[in-house]
Amino acid sequence: MGLFADKYPEVPFEEKSRLWEEVKADARFPDYLYGCYECGICVAACPSARFYDFSPRKIAQAAAREDIELIYEQMNDDVWNCSQCFSCNRCPRQNSPGGLITILREVAVNNGLRSAKQALEGYSRIVYKIMGTGTQVSPDMLQPDAFPDWGPQVRRVSEELDLWRRALPPETLHTTKTGWQVDDKTLIELYLIWYTTGVMDMIANVDEGLNLILSDVMEEVLEDAGYEI
Amino acid sequence: MPSDNVMVIGGGPAGLEAARLLADIGTKVTLVEQRDFLGGTPIAENYAALTHGFHSAEEMMGAMVARVANNPLVDVRLGSTVTASQGEAGDFRVTLASGGASEVVEAGAVILATGFQHFDPGRETQMYGYYEYADVITLADAEAMLKKNSFLKPSNGQVPERVCFIQCVGSRDRQIGNEYCSKVCCGISSKQAIEVRQLSPTTKVFIFYIDMRMYGYWENEIYWPAQEKHHVQYVKGIITEIIKKGDRLLIRGEDTTMGRPMEVPMDVVVLAVGMEASQGTRQMAQLFGVSQNKYKFIDVPHSALDPVATSVPGIYVAGAAAGPKDLDDTIGMAGTAAIKAAGLLRRLVMA
Repeated sequence: MGLFADKYPEVPFEEKSRLWEEVKADARFPDYLYGCYECGICVAACPSARFYDFSPRKIAQAAAREDIELIYEQMNDDVWNCSQCFSCNRCPRQNSPGGLITILREVAVNNGLRSAKQALEGYSRIVYKIMGTGTQVSPDMLQPDAFPDWGPQVRRVSEELDLWRRALPPETLHTTKTGWQVDDKTLIELYLIWYTTGVMDMIANVDEGLNLILSDVMEEVLEDAGYEI
Repeated sequence: MPSDNVMVIGGGPAGLEAARLLADIGTKVTLVEQRDFLGGTPIAENYAALTHGFHSAEEMMGAMVARVANNPLVDVRLGSTVTASQGEAGDFRVTLASGGASEVVEAGAVILATGFQHFDPGRETQMYGYYEYADVITLADAEAMLKKNSFLKPSNGQVPERVCFIQCVGSRDRQIGNEYCSKVCCGISSKQAIEVRQLSPTTKVFIFYIDMRMYGYWENEIYWPAQEKHHVQYVKGIITEIIKKGDRLLIRGEDTTMGRPMEVPMDVVVLAVGMEASQGTRQMAQLFGVSQNKYKFIDVPHSALDPVATSVPGIYVAGAAAGPKDLDDTIGMAGTAAIKAAGLLRRLVMA
């Protein structure tokens, strides 16, 4: 039992506790959390904290206190506001709130938490793009409906995409479907990494449809290259 | 002819150390203690482990006592009180009373080492129910339990599920009149929290604080291990009141850094009571005519560079009689007071 009212009373304590144990069992955990002074240096350094109701200090505090209910609340509501820039690593106790968030997010994704699915919904385009082409973003993603937070000028840019692209230096290869050219060998290596490290399972947990489409594309490429999946 | 004897009043850490050091340099000492035993507050109040270093208080004090008890230069007067003093530096005539008899003892200098007493949390402004609820205890009560290697809920003798410490009880409070920090309570609470966690790993331990004042090496030797190794939970926010709910205690306060109010059940609440001038310190200050500060501790006019001189020449102070002190400072002051007293006698004899 924590110090505060439980925001998710419908989720059994045992389930919240199980997720927390999974976080603590992560090999990185002991290096990411020592003790918290609650000094706020991490919040002061955090770009997300300037724009969202988000505090890396509270993440470290809740973890240090092992406040199971609060950690569950954060795993659902707070951790997705972090931009993973690790400015918070300037902690005098050498904590890494950002690192804790990495683990909390992974546990949320691996366990298919609803918040993880919602938070990553907008990213299915990026996941599809990176897994299909090996580049993270491409000019043709600059569409008004893609990312509302990119602002109203996106509409104007998207209308003359090819022209804008040609105005840039030749190193960009003037493609609009990919950010840059990716060698087939590189793509195969990326696919192998994603398969062997469990990334495909993580995607399955948050977006089954996307996982199916990607698996088809990737398995074909890998089989052509002589790999058994 | 000036007296070649130094009177040390108080047989606690400061008095024992001053007496031993004076004897070490060949100066005669009369060590006066009102209790029937030496060792002072650490022994009288059943301290378990000393906060710095976790050594047994009984063993450490026993070693200090052994250094003066059979020392031919130290005249130990147990069960004795000072009832009068006349004269001046080099030539004090101090009346000691013991068991109905009284005697005048000469002393060239006097060291007041009369210490502190724990704040009484039953004062009217305290809403913690110390005299109402068996499970609300003080640091000293907790020490007595820990000395027996046990920490159980007083009301039912069971292992407590949740224990909390409330810091600054009787310190840093204008309403009470004790505006000062008592210096050691943060460390002692943290030490006790570690001991409780070691005795009962299933017990959750919280410390509610205003500031944690873990200066110097207390930081890495006590505070960090308490948090990082023993998972003691530090929450910035002071408890306003304690309410009895069933057989548990409900504490109310604000978790200031989380910005939320708290109402949490506890099994044992430990009040981190601060230091006040002991009765002996108040009485000796008046009897020897040395100035006291507004908190009734003995005033040290030049505290930074001359931490042991009182307002009266030839009368020195060591330890918590001059205000809240940890043991390190107390022992350091005792050494300074001893050498200043011996130096004064030498100057007067040579003159």
